[in-house]
Amino acid sequence: MTNQKHQFDASPVVVEDLAPALRLSLRVKPAHRETLGRALGLDLPTRVGSRAAANGAEALCLGPDEWLIVAPEGTDLASPARAAYADAPHSLVDISDREITLRLSGPAVLDLLAACCPRNIAAMPVGAAARTVFDSATVILWRDGPTDFRMDVWRSFAPHVRSLLTQVRTEIAAGL
Amino acid sequence: MLLIHCPYCEDTLPELEFTYAGEAHIARPADPSALSDDEWRDFLFIRTNARGPHYERWRHIGCGRFFNALRDTVSDRFLTTYKAGEARRPLTNEAAE
Amino acid sequence: MSRYRISGKGRVDHSAPVSFTFDGKTYRGLRGDTVASALLANGVHLMGRSFKYHRPRGAVSAGSEEPNALIGTSRGKGQFEPNTRATVQELRDGLVTESQNKWPHLSFDIGAVNDRAYMLFSAGFYYKTFMWPKSFWDKIYEPVIRGAAGLGKSPTEVDPDRYASRYLHTDVLVIGAGAAGIAAALSAAQSGADVTLVDENAEMGGSLLSDPAVQIDGKPAWDWVEAQLARLRAAGVRLMTRTTAIGYYHQNMVGLCQRLTDHLDNPPANAPRERMWRVRAEQVVLAQGALEKPLVFDGNDRPGVMLAGAAQTYLHKYGVKVGDTPAVVTSHDSAYFAAFDLADSGARVAAIIDTRDAVRPDLLEGARKRGIQVLSGHTVTTTKGRLRVKSVRANPVRGTHVGAGRDIACDCLLMSGGWTPSLHLFSHTKGSLGWDAGSNTFLPDRKTEACEIAGAGRGLWGYEAVLADGAAAGLRALEGLNRAGHSAAFTVANDRPGTGVTHTELPTDGNPGKAKAFIDFQNDVTAKDIRLAVREGMRSIEHVKRYTTNGMATDQGKMSNINGLMIAADALGKQPPQVGLTTFRPPYTPTSFGAFCGYLRGDTFQLTRKTPIDPWAEANGAVFEPVAQWRRAWYFPKAGEDMHAAVLRECKATRASLGIFDASTLGKIEVAGPDAVEFMNRMYTNPWTKLQPGRCRYGLLLGEDGFIRDDGVIGRLSPDLFHVTTTTGGAARVLTMMEDYLQTEWPDLDVWLTSTTEQWATVALNGPNALKMLKPLVEGVDWDDFPHMSCAECTVAGLPARLFRLSFTGEVGFEVNVPARHGLTLWTALMEAGKPYDICPYGTETMHVLRAEKGYIIVGQDTDGTVTPQDAGLDWAIGKAKKDFVGKRSLSRPDIVAKGRKQLVGLLTEDGSLLQEGAQIVLDPNQPKPMKMVGHVTSSYQSTMGHPIAMAVIEGGFDKMGETVFIPMPDGVRKARITSTVFYDPDNARLKA
Ligand SMILES: [Zn+2]
Repeated sequence: MTNQKHQFDASPVVVEDLAPALRLSLRVKPAHRETLGRALGLDLPTRVGSRAAANGAEALCLGPDEWLIVAPEGTDLASPARAAYADAPHSLVDISDREITLRLSGPAVLDLLAACCPRNIAAMPVGAAARTVFDSATVILWRDGPTDFRMDVWRSFAPHVRSLLTQVRTEIAAGL
Repeated sequence: MLLIHCPYCEDTLPELEFTYAGEAHIARPADPSALSDDEWRDFLFIRTNARGPHYERWRHIGCGRFFNALRDTVSDRFLTTYKAGEARRPLTNEAAE
Repeated sequence: MSRYRISGKGRVDHSAPVSFTFDGKTYRGLRGDTVASALLANGVHLMGRSFKYHRPRGAVSAGSEEPNALIGTSRGKGQFEPNTRATVQELRDGLVTESQNKWPHLSFDIGAVNDRAYMLFSAGFYYKTFMWPKSFWDKIYEPVIRGAAGLGKSPTEVDPDRYASRYLHTDVLVIGAGAAGIAAALSAAQSGADVTLVDENAEMGGSLLSDPAVQIDGKPAWDWVEAQLARLRAAGVRLMTRTTAIGYYHQNMVGLCQRLTDHLDNPPANAPRERMWRVRAEQVVLAQGALEKPLVFDGNDRPGVMLAGAAQTYLHKYGVKVGDTPAVVTSHDSAYFAAFDLADSGARVAAIIDTRDAVRPDLLEGARKRGIQVLSGHTVTTTKGRLRVKSVRANPVRGTHVGAGRDIACDCLLMSGGWTPSLHLFSHTKGSLGWDAGSNTFLPDRKTEACEIAGAGRGLWGYEAVLADGAAAGLRALEGLNRAGHSAAFTVANDRPGTGVTHTELPTDGNPGKAKAFIDFQNDVTAKDIRLAVREGMRSIEHVKRYTTNGMATDQGKMSNINGLMIAADALGKQPPQVGLTTFRPPYTPTSFGAFCGYLRGDTFQLTRKTPIDPWAEANGAVFEPVAQWRRAWYFPKAGEDMHAAVLRECKATRASLGIFDASTLGKIEVAGPDAVEFMNRMYTNPWTKLQPGRCRYGLLLGEDGFIRDDGVIGRLSPDLFHVTTTTGGAARVLTMMEDYLQTEWPDLDVWLTSTTEQWATVALNGPNALKMLKPLVEGVDWDDFPHMSCAECTVAGLPARLFRLSFTGEVGFEVNVPARHGLTLWTALMEAGKPYDICPYGTETMHVLRAEKGYIIVGQDTDGTVTPQDAGLDWAIGKAKKDFVGKRSLSRPDIVAKGRKQLVGLLTEDGSLLQEGAQIVLDPNQPKPMKMVGHVTSSYQSTMGHPIAMAVIEGGFDKMGETVFIPMPDGVRKARITSTVFYDPDNARLKA
């Protein structure tokens, strides 16, 4: 018997924790969107679910007046926002600790998501994102590749979500 | 489980992403103190309870927005949905979406 | 080789014997058998006892519609399932099965005495028999009847199996993979459409598997099926067997239950037993075929009497000859083919008894060729045989006259009363059914969903017609997707078309009142029961159904509905469509609870939220309680302490020195923007304009109806920024309510709301030493200007923090908020720094006691959605000068200002006993019953003051200070004095310390 050679991770689906990032909830009225976007160096997209990235930061449009901004920790967006406050009144709230982010990937990742997401995730374009539900938890799903997703879930909901993900992974591994 | 068209997301999505939020087009009076007790009672408690097309409000988890809907309470079907603040859609426009 | 197995015949694997037990006896079947086919191969027809009369019964069908052959199956500890249909359960090595409703054993059953007492058990017997005398119910009727009745026995252990769930989005869902379904899937799987084809059986092919002589496009049926399934697979069609469509819901949502492991000898580790699919299809094709109807005659339920189509299926699919000398009674052409096929396989067919006068010449010729006598224009008046049919009596019918009968010996009797389209799922959609007078059956009429119905489900018969119809339905579904495809045509040789007639009970020369002519086999409903129900005044078919229980068994009347309807209509003197059909409801076939639960069991039964400090609480022996969706530390017992002792210790430690509490579950909302203060003024009762940054205030939130909805301390961090806290349970509700006002009533305001509940971990410190202990850990706070009800952004233990000075205990108190990831670090640092002060972690119970001693309310406990600020003694929190706020107008409604409203007061018991929360209060304990209840206890605790305290809402309570009220309890009446709700430090001296 020979030893097994280098083995790629053959798991049909992988669930990993991602390192913390700066997460900001931005609220601003449509009339001031462009002004504020300029101040932040971000072109704030207007279609719900669409994303735009610049200078390492990424903005996701969650609603007509709501964006989620994700950037590396330490990025200062608060100062330029404050400077633009008089011209473009808004709310910019640090929610870095509100959620944790999981990376879900692998060939069976769509099955994993279809276990608990009523939305048609397979139809979500790569590069889009959506606030939706995973079982009874509200999550934000980012599709980064055909079989590559991120899931932001509120911290206290994470144990429940993880437990479900574990069950579904076990089920997928059983192969039936 | 119904499918609901969110007028903000411009997408038709499963009911589990939505919550019901009561009858639509019941605006809060600008000056409640000017209302008689009976008028205020009607604003608070009196609802249409329609059998058939019913104007109601829903909220979408995805975009967080409240919106209006015309839904048939007999068939459960949504006849149309439209943004908050827009005028009541006429009943004759049922199929429009 | 089992006695009734035909060597080499059928789709079972003759080289793979499988052994199983039935009622303790070991039998051998073959891989591919069901329990029923394997028992029949062994000559066992007796498989169970009926529900009411305990009559011996055998399998009457070969499919999921089976009403009789219900068995218990066991696969191991906790894996017992009652009422499994033996006709569906596939054989698996070592399967243990047992019959039901029998005692002491299947062939001799005491309960069968019910059968002889059947006159007592006629329609409506539940309603009639047990009415009088009342006292008989508990002692006689219930134990005796329940003991003998009941369907199977419930499992008693936890189900160790796993169950799974999936959502599926597909373009076309085809339900049923018989000839029509396969043809429909072939049509739909063009132009790249995503197609899903499901079938409840282990193999696809439907009735083609029971008709191997049929040829399609020059291929024998089985080869054709195999080739088409391969084509579908190659086209990317999802093929799912053992998958039952259990319900059809709005907008083409179909529930599927997929059975994954029940048929496997050794299921893979951790594999789910079943998976529930929630399918959203753009188009649905219903190709579920038709179900054969029994004929209604005396003794039609004897073991050995079964549907002709079932016998044909046992023969061809399983290679089982259900008897050596079958007799056939039919009103439909299809049964002839069962007789022919059995004869061709070596059975000696005793007779074909046809209720019709005229028989198709080719069928007569087929019978003649095989030496089978055909008795046309005949009826069957009874059968004989104890545990198995041994003869059938056939009588000629001339007009309405039934002539003398003769007994024909047989070892099984195959019956066919025609076929009923399987329209259960279509009915779930509230699609309407139309009566087809030609075929005497209901057919699909007006549709409410994007669906097509194909094949025998539409009353079509014969493979050529069914295939063409399936192909057309699949094409229409494809066109419904705005896609194009070409139509397909099939040529069929050796087709087996047919027609038939529908009857009520077959005519008899006997006393119809004595006939045991069954309609609903599972619920033991006879033709006579239906007629009795009509005689006793039932007019609506829904009433007939409930009075007789016809169609109310687990098979939902798949076989019995039309027969029941025909007889009810006849008794009522109406046409069947005027009587109507009862409602079919999901699930189509019985479905396990596990499949509905899916993953939501055990730890994930319901969502449980945990705070960042939860791990510390768990490691330190906390007892938890659920609060809204959260689990919160309730108290921290030390060795030997009960709850009372632990809570009292925690309370005293906090009052004496220092307590620490995880308050992270408090709802938090960031209210930010130029109009933040205006928004706060409109939402909350309190005035906010003059609240300076750096200060906080108790906020009270009402509904528009004036009743208290929520409360919490709110800090103003800057002119445009408020840090709002809400109750734990109210967090989501309050945010939604605020968003609602903002989006729909005041969209002009420049203010935004963000939930920060989980951004912050919150630790409360309370006690006379709280300030002393905290001070050295804090940077960035001017302690000379940080009185009670202050807030600041600063650092605590080196962590970025929002610090609030407030109190929910009556002691000097703080709430430290740090970003959630640091929650545990902060807690540990404070525990360390608190050591010199004997810092004491406390839970929600101590929090409740300490706040109650101060008369601080808990919204949802001391208020219940009908309590106004005045009722709760919170008038002081109302900004009287404000023109408007949510709920203000209601505070002057007549009912709200009326006298005699229930008001929140304190209660002290005279005997020092603890009151029960929820206990009702009366003014006069000697008044006659029912007493006038004037209120109830809302909160009640042992306190730190040596006696229990309570709060209560009592009518006109504020005017009754010092008066005595009474609380009647099971062990006697308690006496209590009405007091203020503030029991401890009424002057707030300790807060100012
Ligand atoms: Zn939306």
